[in-house]
Amino acid sequence: MSDERHADELYLTEESLTRLVDELLTAGTEVIAPAVTGSCASPAAIASAACLRPGAAPELIEYAALHDASQMALGRGLPNLSLKGFFLPQEEALVSWRRRGTGLELRGPRVDAPSRIALGVKPCDAAALEIVDKVMNWDTKDELWNGRREATTVFTLACPVEDESCFCAAVGGTPDGTRGADGLFTPVEGGYMVQATTDKGRAFIDSHLAAHAGEPAQSDSLRRQAAGFRSAARERIAGHLAIDGPAIRDWVAANFDDPLLTSLGIRCNGCGACTSVCPTCHCFDIVDEPDGVSCGTRRRCWDTCQTGRFTSHASGHNPREDQNVRFRQRINHKFAIYPLRFGEILCTGCGRCTRVCHAGQDLVEILSEIDDAARRGRPAVTADSDGGGEG
Amino acid sequence: MKELQELARTLLADGEVELVIGWEEGRRGARPAFITSPDDADRLIFDARCVHNLATYLSPRRPQVTRLGKLALVVKGCDVKAVAGLLREEQLSSDRLVLIGVRCGGVFEEPALKDPAQPTSETVAPRCYGCDNREPARVAYLLGEPQPEPPMPATTIDDRVAMLDALSPDERWQFWTDQFSKCVRCYACRQVCPLCVCEQCIADKTMPQWIETASHPRGNLAWNLIRALHLAGRCVGCGECERFCPVDIPLSLLNRKVQQIVEERFDYVVSDDPERPAPIGDYRPDDQEEFIK
Repeated sequence: MSDERHADELYLTEESLTRLVDELLTAGTEVIAPAVTGSCASPAAIASAACLRPGAAPELIEYAALHDASQMALGRGLPNLSLKGFFLPQEEALVSWRRRGTGLELRGPRVDAPSRIALGVKPCDAAALEIVDKVMNWDTKDELWNGRREATTVFTLACPVEDESCFCAAVGGTPDGTRGADGLFTPVEGGYMVQATTDKGRAFIDSHLAAHAGEPAQSDSLRRQAAGFRSAARERIAGHLAIDGPAIRDWVAANFDDPLLTSLGIRCNGCGACTSVCPTCHCFDIVDEPDGVSCGTRRRCWDTCQTGRFTSHASGHNPREDQNVRFRQRINHKFAIYPLRFGEILCTGCGRCTRVCHAGQDLVEILSEIDDAARRGRPAVTADSDGGGEG
Repeated sequence: MKELQELARTLLADGEVELVIGWEEGRRGARPAFITSPDDADRLIFDARCVHNLATYLSPRRPQVTRLGKLALVVKGCDVKAVAGLLREEQLSSDRLVLIGVRCGGVFEEPALKDPAQPTSETVAPRCYGCDNREPARVAYLLGEPQPEPPMPATTIDDRVAMLDALSPDERWQFWTDQFSKCVRCYACRQVCPLCVCEQCIADKTMPQWIETASHPRGNLAWNLIRALHLAGRCVGCGECERFCPVDIPLSLLNRKVQQIVEERFDYVVSDDPERPAPIGDYRPDDQEEFIK
C-alpha cells in the first residue's frame, strides 16, 4: 500500500463524476453503480417493510444499471445484494428452442456483451469476481461469465468499513483493494482521487475520465487526505476478525466429522438468503421452461446448497439429510474445498450472510471457533512460523 | 429471566426434556438458543428483543432438531398459535413437547436493539398492536410478570393494507409487481414459516414443474401468490417471512389481506386452540358454497 501506487491519482469532483456518467449514458454505455432503487418517500414505499423499521435508511441501495447519474449513491453503505448478478444473473436464457416440422431450431444467447463500466464497487465485491473466475474457467470456459467480465471495466471505491461484521482483511482482502477491478476511487473532500491499476482501467481513464478530471492547486493535500482515508480503513479492519486461512483449510479438510462441524446448522432455517447475497456463491441450476407446446427456453438460475433439494437424488436418497451437514458444506466449500482446488478462499469477508440471517447464524463467530480449533489442532511450533502463508 | 433459567436447568437435569429451545444473546442481538445441558441454562434470556417465532423449530422437516429428543419450547402468546396450528394439522404430537410460556408486552421489530427496555410506538413490531395473547394459554409453565398492552405503532399493518386497498387495481398490481420483481427465490419466507410444513413444497416439484424456478416476473408472481394462498386460514401473522426476506418484500401485507378475507368469508380468526378447526381442515354440511356440499 505504498504511496507510489497512488502517485498518479487524478482528482474528480462529484459534479465531474455526474457529467462523466451522463456522458457515458448518453453514448449508450451501460454504467453500473450503487444506486437508490427505492425511496421511502415514494407513495408506494409506505407499504414497504424496510421503510417502517426503526432507524431505517431513508433509501434502499442496490447495484443498478443507471438510468441517469442522479440515481448514483456512491459510498452510502453496502448495497443489499452483491455485484455478482451482473455477471451471473439470477436467471438467464441459455438457449431457446422451437420445433419446426421434424426439425428443431435453437437460438443461443449473445456471448459478446457490450462494453460497460462499474463504478463505486465495494472492494469485497470486486475481489469476488476474480475468485469466481477460477471455477468459471476450470474445465469448460463459461462464455457468458467471461464475456461479461471482459466487457466490464470495474472501479472500486475505498470502503470506510461498514460495521462489525466486515472481515475482508481476514480472508486476504483490504478495504482499499483493487483485486478483480481496474482501478480505485478514494473519497476526498468534494470528490474522489482516482487511480487505474490495469491497462483496461488506464484506457478508460484516458478515453473518458481524464477529460473531466482536474489538477487542483491543493492536489498534494487531497492525495494525503486519500491516503489517510485508506490507512484509517485498514487500521479499522485490522481490529476485526483475524483467522489463519491455511490452518482452517487443513483442519476442515481433515476433520469432516468433528462435532464442531457437524452441529453448525441447528438454528439455520435452510433458506438460501446467505447464498443469494453472497458475492462468491455461484452455484446454479438449469431448468427447461416450455413457452408453449413446441417451444421453450433453457435457463440457468441461482441455486443454493442450503436447501434439501440441492442434493436430492432421483432415487429419493439425499446424502445431505439435514441442515447441520448442509451448513458444513457451505463452510467446507468456502474454506477447504475451493482453497484446495483453486488456492483461493471462496469468501471476501463482506459479511452479508451474517447481516441477512435473522436466525443468528454468524460467520464471524463460526470462523473464530473453527480458527481456535484449527490452531489448537496444529503443533504449537508452527503457530509462529506459519504467519498466515502456505504452511 | 432467573425463573426461566432455573426452570430450564431443572427440566434438563431431571431428564424431563433433552432440549430447551429459547433465546440467547448473540453477537448481533437476541437469537434462537438450543440448550441441551443444564450447565448452559443460564444462557437463556427473555426480553423484548426475543422476536423469533421459535415454533418454526418444531417442524417435522428439521431432523437436526427432532433427533435431539423431547424438548421444551419457550413461547410468547402469539407463538402458541403456531404450535396450535401444527397440532391441529397433526404435524406434531403434544407428548414430545413441553411449552414454557412467557408473558409478553410486545417485542421489537428487530432483535438487534441493544436496550432491552419496553418497546415504544417507534420500536414495537407492528404485529404486536392489538395483541390478544399477552399471557400464553395452554402452556405447562407460565413465567414473568403481567405485561401492559403493546404500544400502537405510527402505522399499523391494517393501516398499510388499507392504503393498498385504496389504490386502483392497476396501481396495486404495479405495487406488487415491483415488490415481487425483487424476489431472489431464496425461499427464506417458506423455510422460516412455522406452518410451511410440506415435505415436498409445490415449488420444488419438477414432474410436472408447477412453478417456474427462474426469478423472472412470471415465476416470482407464481411463487409469491401460491405461498400466500397456501397459508390462507393457516398463517398466524408472526411476520417471520417478511423479517427474513433478504430483499424486504412486505409479505405481512399480503398475509394480512388473506387473513382479512378468511375472517370475512369463513368467520375464522387464527386461534391458539388446536381443537378449533381451521377453514381448510373443516367440513360442514351447511357450507355456504354449493359445490362442496
